[in-house]
Amino acid sequence: MGSFIWKRLLLMIPTLLGVTIVVFLMLKIVPGDPVNALVPTDATEAEREAVRARLGLDQPIFVQYANWLARVVRGDLGDSLVRRLPVADLLLPALQNTLLLAITAAIVSFAVALAVGVYSAYYPKSSLAATFNALSLAGIGLPNFWVALILIGVFSVALGWLPSAGMKSAGGGSFADIIRHLILPVAATVLSTVGVMTRMVRSTVSGILQQDHIFVLRAKGISPTKVLLHVLRNGMPTILNVAGLQFGYLLGGSVLVETVFSWPGVGQVIYQTIGQRDFPVVQAGVLIIAIAFVGINLIVDAAHAALDPRVRRV
Amino acid sequence: MSTHAPVSADVAIVRPARREPSAWTLALQALIRRKAALAALIVLLAIVLSCLLAPLLSPYDPVEGQVRDRLLPVGSAGHWLGTDEQGRDLLSRMLYGGRLSLLSGFAPVVLATVIGGALGIAAGYFGGLANTIIMRSLDVVFSFPAILLAIGISAALGPGIVNIIISATVVFVPPIARIAESATKEVAKEEYIEAAKSSGADSGLIIRAHVLRNVFGKLFVFSTSQIGGCLVIASGLSFLGLGVAPPTPEWGFMLNNLKQLIFIHPVVTVVPGLFIFLTSLSVNLVSDALSDAFDAKR
Repeated sequence: MGSFIWKRLLLMIPTLLGVTIVVFLMLKIVPGDPVNALVPTDATEAEREAVRARLGLDQPIFVQYANWLARVVRGDLGDSLVRRLPVADLLLPALQNTLLLAITAAIVSFAVALAVGVYSAYYPKSSLAATFNALSLAGIGLPNFWVALILIGVFSVALGWLPSAGMKSAGGGSFADIIRHLILPVAATVLSTVGVMTRMVRSTVSGILQQDHIFVLRAKGISPTKVLLHVLRNGMPTILNVAGLQFGYLLGGSVLVETVFSWPGVGQVIYQTIGQRDFPVVQAGVLIIAIAFVGINLIVDAAHAALDPRVRRV
Repeated sequence: MSTHAPVSADVAIVRPARREPSAWTLALQALIRRKAALAALIVLLAIVLSCLLAPLLSPYDPVEGQVRDRLLPVGSAGHWLGTDEQGRDLLSRMLYGGRLSLLSGFAPVVLATVIGGALGIAAGYFGGLANTIIMRSLDVVFSFPAILLAIGISAALGPGIVNIIISATVVFVPPIARIAESATKEVAKEEYIEAAKSSGADSGLIIRAHVLRNVFGKLFVFSTSQIGGCLVIASGLSFLGLGVAPPTPEWGFMLNNLKQLIFIHPVVTVVPGLFIFLTSLSVNLVSDALSDAFDAKR
């Protein structure tokens, strides 16, 4: 198990290099000369060259990448052009809020998908399962930013039950207050991701239910609860894998959900800075979420290996 | 299936799943399976056609509003879908807006199918180093949540529908290439490819005459299943302000504009999203039926 994790950690290096290359190239495809933003319009060519040399923009692109990477590894993500702050100071507190939202949503989504998926696999011919099936199919095409607006319309505007924006009330910030603010963003995120998960759980579980060993267990007269434990143990690796992928979708989708709910996370920061063309922040925000995603996948893989000995032999 | 009464009560308790479904349930399932696909196809065609025919069908100008008609609710006479804060007719804006929204949902998938298909077939057919280089570089994209990568690229390129199409294409190339690669690998093992090779056919001919024909079905079904997701991603980018500039109508961006009105004009706010959802749902239902049909054929 230990050596498996070491191997996976080593395999993460090329993945992270790939991620940083893509994120670095994003800055390079920004149209226009970056020097224009930094020098007065009447600057001479010599002055422009001086700025270019100071920023290292006169170097070959792979040298620029190496320099940038060396700074990123040390935690220096550059400075915000608009707010004159280190990007890391802006993004790291926001990352906590994003993870709070995403992890809560992931747990709720996982629980709902597991319950509904297992039920639908056990009773495939029931009308409840047919309804779940239709709902989960519909959920796949559901834009989360639209669900978010509908939830605000119903629960904040019409019913007035829950707050429509932010993470804390003015002067608030207690645990209960944060939970109240969390409900709608989590609901919007879950509703737009749970469909895929549910379908996956259902097809995995119904596949296992048809296998001979389950038939034998039932023939032996083992209680249905124990049979269910066997089923879950067999299905969990596949289900966890899908959950990991879904988590990526959740993190990415958080940009949109956070925007609608003014949730103070990385997505909200990215949205605000896109409008201001403060590109270093956008770039760093994308990098941070991608790294979080790679990290989550590592955890999922480790869990997968813990549950399924066959994986460890790879 | 037998309709015998259970032999003993125990069996009935251990195996409740064997209970015969009611006729109502069977009807519901049949409806979901086939009729829904048919209905979805009709809805999809209706949406696409009415957007294409927007200049003929729109009752009002999509950009110029009437100030005295501001904020009319859904169902108002003459303005079925209501009006926005500038008194512009929502129905007209939806019809015109759909042209760009649908374009940004379909175009990236078509482009990605061509590019990803070509890359995947090349990787799968030639194998070896070519395969490693192509597939491992495409793998990098899977390290990003799809919509986040699209947001990053789109933000870098700057606002515009063309840039949304470019960034969404980048996101959809790798998954499509994977499908094409695995399908090609399967075909390349077949004896008739071996026969064609030994009778002297060159790679170009084999790919065109044998591989493409056999891979196309799988590729088509998979790509169709991506359109709904692409529409949601593209309209999401647009929602973030990365698409059109005002006053041009486009579903995602309209939703962004209208969201400020949610406290005074809530129902109208929901309309553009409903169209995004309906379109994406219809595409998914149609593609689901397509892939069922395709699986059944095998």
